[in-house]
Amino acid sequence: MKLLSSFKKELILASRSFYFYVEVIFPLVILAILLFAVPKEINTTSTQYIYLDLPKEVKEIYIDTMLESATGIESEEVELEAEGKTYDVQLIATDEEKFYIVESEEAVRSLAYSEQNVGAVIELDENNQLYCRYYLQGYESTRLKNLLSIVFNEDMSVLEERIENQEVRPLTTDYEPLNNRENAIPPIIALSSCLMGMFIMASYVFLDKTEGVIKAYAVTASPVWQYLMSKIFVVLVTSVVSGLIIVMPIMGFKINYGLLLLLLLTTSFFASSLGLLIASFYDNLAKAFGAIYLLIILLMVPAIAYFIPGWDPFWIKIIPTYPLMQGFKEIILPKGDIAYSLITSAGFLAGGILIFAFTNFRFKKTLSI
Amino acid sequence: MFKKIWTIFIRDLKVNMREFMTLWIIIAPLLLAVGINFISPSINDTSVNLALVENENPEQVEYFDDFAHVELLSDKQKVEDRVRARDDVVGVLSKGSGYYIMTQGNEPESIVEYSKLLNVLYESGVKLEDARSEIIEFDRTVPPLKKMLVNILLLFTPVLTGMLTALNILEEKVDKTVSAINVTPTSRSAFILGKAITGMFIALFISIACLLITGFYNVNIGQAVLLIFSLTILSLIIGFIQGLNSNDVMEAAGSVKLLFLPLAGSIAGYELLSGNWRIFFYWSPFYWAYNANDMILSKSGTWPQVVLSVGIILAICGAVYAVLAPRIARKLQ
Repeated sequence: MKLLSSFKKELILASRSFYFYVEVIFPLVILAILLFAVPKEINTTSTQYIYLDLPKEVKEIYIDTMLESATGIESEEVELEAEGKTYDVQLIATDEEKFYIVESEEAVRSLAYSEQNVGAVIELDENNQLYCRYYLQGYESTRLKNLLSIVFNEDMSVLEERIENQEVRPLTTDYEPLNNRENAIPPIIALSSCLMGMFIMASYVFLDKTEGVIKAYAVTASPVWQYLMSKIFVVLVTSVVSGLIIVMPIMGFKINYGLLLLLLLTTSFFASSLGLLIASFYDNLAKAFGAIYLLIILLMVPAIAYFIPGWDPFWIKIIPTYPLMQGFKEIILPKGDIAYSLITSAGFLAGGILIFAFTNFRFKKTLSI
Repeated sequence: MFKKIWTIFIRDLKVNMREFMTLWIIIAPLLLAVGINFISPSINDTSVNLALVENENPEQVEYFDDFAHVELLSDKQKVEDRVRARDDVVGVLSKGSGYYIMTQGNEPESIVEYSKLLNVLYESGVKLEDARSEIIEFDRTVPPLKKMLVNILLLFTPVLTGMLTALNILEEKVDKTVSAINVTPTSRSAFILGKAITGMFIALFISIACLLITGFYNVNIGQAVLLIFSLTILSLIIGFIQGLNSNDVMEAAGSVKLLFLPLAGSIAGYELLSGNWRIFFYWSPFYWAYNANDMILSKSGTWPQVVLSVGIILAICGAVYAVLAPRIARKLQ
C-alpha cells in the first residue's frame, strides 16, 4: 500500500512538471516525422559513370545489351555538372542502379571524383577483348576491389543468365520484411523510451537529493526500495505512454501489444535501475552526466549494426541494446520470433532486479550520496 | 570589463578542472573518437558472410575468401544452424557437381544477389589473376561512414558542453549566486561571457582533438576552426537557454531530450532527403553545421560555401539570442 501511495504521489507530481509534457511531445514529433517525412520505401541506388571507348557498332551493341538486361529500364538524355563543367550524358536507370554513359574519360574521372561514385572506362585490349579501367575513391575494401576486378571477365548477359538460374534454398519462405517506417521503430523506442529512462531516473534522484527527500526517508517508516521503486514506476509509465504513441499509429492492431508492453516495461526497468545505480555514485547530475552520456552513446552503437546488413561483430551482440532492438523487431515483424522477445524480456527483468538490488544496497548504506 | 570576464573564466576553469566531471566531459568525446577509429575499418570491410563446410572444398574457400568473409563449419547441419542465427550469414552447400545458396529467408536482397554472383563466378572459373581491368584510385582514405560518425561527434560536442554550461548556471541559480551578481561591480553581460568562455574553450579543444584523433589533420584547418567557433557560439546559446529556463535538473533533462529532435532530425534530413525536402531543415543551426562539417571533412568545401554556412549558424544564434535576451536579462535578475 505504501508503494502504491508513493507511486500515486510521484505520478501526480510528475504530471505537473515540464518533463512529463516533454515525454508526450517528443514521441508525437517523432511520429509526425515518421508518418510525413519518412517514405515507406526508400530505394538505395548505386551510381556508375561509364565511358565506352569502343568502336561505334560495339558501343551500340553494349548499350542495347544494357537496355535489354532487365525489365523496367529507362533511358534519357540529361546534363551533369562536375568541377565547373557541364556534361551531356545518357542515363540508363533501373530501380537499383543508375548508369551515366558519358563521352570522355575526363568526364568519368571528374564525375567519379566530385560525386564520389564509381567510374569506369571500357575499351578493347590488344586481343579485341573488353578491358575496364575503374576510377575508385581509395577507401573501398580490398574485397570489393577484387570483385570489381573480375566481374568484367564474363559476358554481362551470360553472367546475368547464370545468376538468374542459380539455385537458392531459403529455410523459410513466409518472411515479410518491414517497411522503412516500421523498421525505424526499434532504435527509436530503444533511445526514446528505454535509454532516456536512465537519464531521467538519475535526474529524479538528484532533484530529490537537492531537496533532501532521500535523507528524509531515513526517518520514515517506508523502506528506501519503495521510494526507488515508486520513481521507477513513473518512468515505466512515461516509457509505455511514449512507446505506444509511436507504435500504435504505425503498426495499428497487427502486433501483439502484450509482448510489446512486456518488453517495454522490462527494458525500461533495466535502464531505470542502471540510471539509479549511476546516480548512487555521484552527488549531482552535472557529475553523473558524463558517465550517463558515454553509456548512452555506447548503448546506441548496436543501432549502427541494426542498419548495416552483414556487420554484426561479436562484441556488438553483448551490448544489451542489441537484443533490445532485435526483440522489438521480432514483435513488430509479421510472424516474428515470440520466444526471442520473451527470453529478452526475462533477461532484462533478471538484469534489472540484480542492478536494483545492488542499488538499493548502496542507497541504504549511504542514504545521502 | 575584459579583466572581469577573464577573472570569471579563470575562476571557472580552476573550479572545473578540480572536478572530475570536467575532465570526464573532455575525455568522453576523445574516447568516442578512438571508438570511431576502432569500428570504422571493420564496417568499411563489411561484405557478405558465407558459411561453408570445412575440408569439403579448400580451393573454393580460398576463392571466396578474396571476396567475402568466410566461416567454416564441420557439417551441413552446422551450416544450416549458422544460417538460422540472427545475423545475415548465407550458406554455400554442395549438390551433385555444383553448389546452391542456403538463406534464412530474411536477408536483404543485395546480400543474396552478391552471394549468387560469387558462386556463379567461382563455378565459371573466373580467377582474380585473369582480371581484365585496372583500378585507379583518388587516394581518399576516409570512408563515408567514418566521416559521418565524426561529423555527428562534432555536432554532439556543442550539446555536451552546452549542457555543462547549463548545469553550471543551474548550480549558480540554486546557490543564489546569479542574483548576487547584481550587487557586485561585475555587469551581467561580463558574467554571461565569463561563464561562457569555459564551455567555449572546452568545445574548441574537444573538437580539434577529435579531428586529430580521427585522422582528419589534413582538412582545411582555417575552415574547421571557423566552423568550430560558430559551434561554440551555438553551445553558448544552448547552455544559457537551458540553464536559465530550467528551475531544476528535471527541466534541464527534459530540454536535453527535446534538443535531440533538431539534432537528429537535421542529420537524418541531410543524409536521407533529397535537395527539395532539405529546405524544411534550413531553420536548424545543426543542419548548417552538419552541412559545413561534411564539406570540410570531405575537403570539398570552398571558402564562400563554409563562410555562408557559418554565417547562417551565427545569424540563427543571433536571432534566437535577440528574441530571448530580455528573458535572459530577467532571469539573471
